[in-house]
Amino acid sequence: MLLQLSDVDISYNDNVIVKGVNLELDSGERLSIVGESGSGKTTVIRAILGVLPRAGKVTNGKIIYDGKNILEFTPKEWKKVRGKEISMIFQDSGNMMNPVQKIGDQFIEYITTQEDTDKKSAYEKAVKMLSLTNLPNPENVMNSYTFELSGGMRQRVGIAMAITFEPKLLLADEPTSALDVTTQAQIVKELMKITKSSMIIVTHNIGVAAALGDKLMVMQGGKVVEYGKTTEVIENPKAEYTKTLLSAVPEIGGKRYA
Amino acid sequence: MPDENTENIMEIKNLTKKFFLDGDKVLTACDNINLSIPRGKTFGIVGESGCGKSTLLKAIMNIDPATEGEIIFNGRDIVKLKGEELRQNYRHIQLVFQDPTAAFNPKMKVKDIVTEPLINFNLIKKSEVNEKARELLKQTELPEDFAERYPHNMSGGQRQRVAIARALALEPEIIACDEATSALDVSVQDTIIKLLVKLQKEKGFTYIFICHDLALVSLFAHKMAVMYLGNIVEKIDGDKLQYAKHPYTRALLNSVFSIDSGKNKEVKVLEGEIPSPLNIPVGCPFQNRCAYKKEICAKEKPKLEEIEPNHSVACFFPINN
Ligand SMILES: Nc1ncnc2c1ncn2[C@@H]1O[C@H](COP(=O)(O)OP(=O)(O)OP(=O)(O)O)[C@@H](O)[C@H]1O
Ligand SMILES: Nc1ncnc2c1ncn2[C@@H]1O[C@H](COP(=O)(O)OP(=O)(O)OP(=O)(O)O)[C@@H](O)[C@H]1O
Ligand code: SF4
Ligand SMILES: [Mg+2]
Ligand SMILES: [Mg+2]
Repeated sequence: MLLQLSDVDISYNDNVIVKGVNLELDSGERLSIVGESGSGKTTVIRAILGVLPRAGKVTNGKIIYDGKNILEFTPKEWKKVRGKEISMIFQDSGNMMNPVQKIGDQFIEYITTQEDTDKKSAYEKAVKMLSLTNLPNPENVMNSYTFELSGGMRQRVGIAMAITFEPKLLLADEPTSALDVTTQAQIVKELMKITKSSMIIVTHNIGVAAALGDKLMVMQGGKVVEYGKTTEVIENPKAEYTKTLLSAVPEIGGKRYA
Repeated sequence: MPDENTENIMEIKNLTKKFFLDGDKVLTACDNINLSIPRGKTFGIVGESGCGKSTLLKAIMNIDPATEGEIIFNGRDIVKLKGEELRQNYRHIQLVFQDPTAAFNPKMKVKDIVTEPLINFNLIKKSEVNEKARELLKQTELPEDFAERYPHNMSGGQRQRVAIARALALEPEIIACDEATSALDVSVQDTIIKLLVKLQKEKGFTYIFICHDLALVSLFAHKMAVMYLGNIVEKIDGDKLQYAKHPYTRALLNSVFSIDSGKNKEVKVLEGEIPSPLNIPVGCPFQNRCAYKKEICAKEKPKLEEIEPNHSVACFFPINN
């Protein structure tokens, strides 16, 4: 087992927000998390990466990664793991990047801070990663600023960075919700093809969750209300909330609003 | 709906937006856009990331004015408005930004964010802020005590609802929503869309709704435009989207993931890359990714032409099904 959360509670300013989360993830396994807005999805995956906002705190339970409780990690242990063994794709990778520094310089800096290597091999590695995500003309992308790339291209840069060190665990918070559906399909298929990492994908798009996840977890009000094999949860939902959610998924040609 | 009789609240005519970058480079984000927005209806816009949707809205909102063209709103060209007239005009058009996090002042409490437009136009007194804010939050399914929070202490979807509440506050004639529901779970999304529809019926609001979720926008919008590389390539009624004829619109439809795992296997990935808007090809903007391309497509740019009532396509070889 790569990751195990048992009875995890998380609070912001002493208010318990996430309660009693349990989950297990094997090597190479992919889990999708869907659920109510504000139910704690982002909070859970931030806790796994140890990057909760200052007001946030894990107040109960264990997060065991590769046999060790990450809640007891020293800064030195985090330095070894974060960004390398466990990495994260943010909703808008473009916002996380520096607008006045070229993509290439940022990518090279990211590689050289994680790994003892020279600039030239870092450059080559970055180009290789960019081409893996199907970005055309990666040298040109390296030489661009974020605003010169479309949302989909920026998001692929974010994905390329996140998988550079072949993380054992990839966390993705709404990786495709800012993208049009053709780019989304491209990225979903690329993610499945190019990495063997375990993944946790948070998304509001249940179709994407179903396409990516072996397992599906449904959250509501800080609690896990359903958790199981994706096909089983979708074909045979047990929790009322899961049923509500599934029935609200819009489908082309479905019931009109107006 | 007899369409020729529907009055248009806004006419966008020959709107072009260019960005002039370093080194004499010109980026054409919107290329000669023409749109008629029917009053009291919902107009949906879809298209690939970076095709110019937000740029178009920013031009309408005069945040980043158009390089060329006219925007006729209630009979006047708002591109030409200045000073107080311009300011008063924006009582009637509100925008829900794509990224509310970047649009909010992080030092303001939620109650002040949602009521700020009302205060700016002297429509309520400071003493009324608390009550009005709670009413607006309730409308968008947020707990009333969120009034005292700061935006960074909320989830993504909660912030998005604050942005919607703020846009509704002024009861404007047009509400332009830029990906306003993408951070919401489908159940809250359903509630918010129902609220918008209810308000439209009661108060006659017009919506311009940019959205990557094709299914959602087609079920909500009366009319839709599909954009690609700064151009409108197809205009179609929302309830007819599945009968679209432009190869790009078809590619969009083929890319949608479904909760039906069988259907997901059929999802096709559109090959090739979007050309750079710095370097728009001669001819059809979609040619390098189009499976139906013929010689003429690289030479001439197809015009947006009506092929049946209320349905226009910019393609030499529209797909018939
Ligand atoms: N910094 C913070 N301080 C206080 N409360 C917070 C903070 N960040 C989030 N919260 C609250 O914690 C709850 C869970 O937030 P979280 O961001 O994890 O939700 P989410 O499931 O990711 O929602 P969404 O789908 O809307 O992004 C929300 O009710 C939110 O208001
Ligand atoms: N201030 C700016 N300076 C230079 N180029 C810009 C600027 N704003 C937008 N662009 C460019 O204009 C094009 C259209 O961008 P826009 O934000 O309108 O796209 P969009 O359709 O809203 O995409 P998305 O779906 O990703 O939000 C892009 O190529 C973008 O890089
Ligand atoms: S005009 Fe030609 S290249 Fe363009 S969409 Fe139609 S068939 Fe394809
Ligand atoms: Mg979130
Ligand atoms: Mg946009």
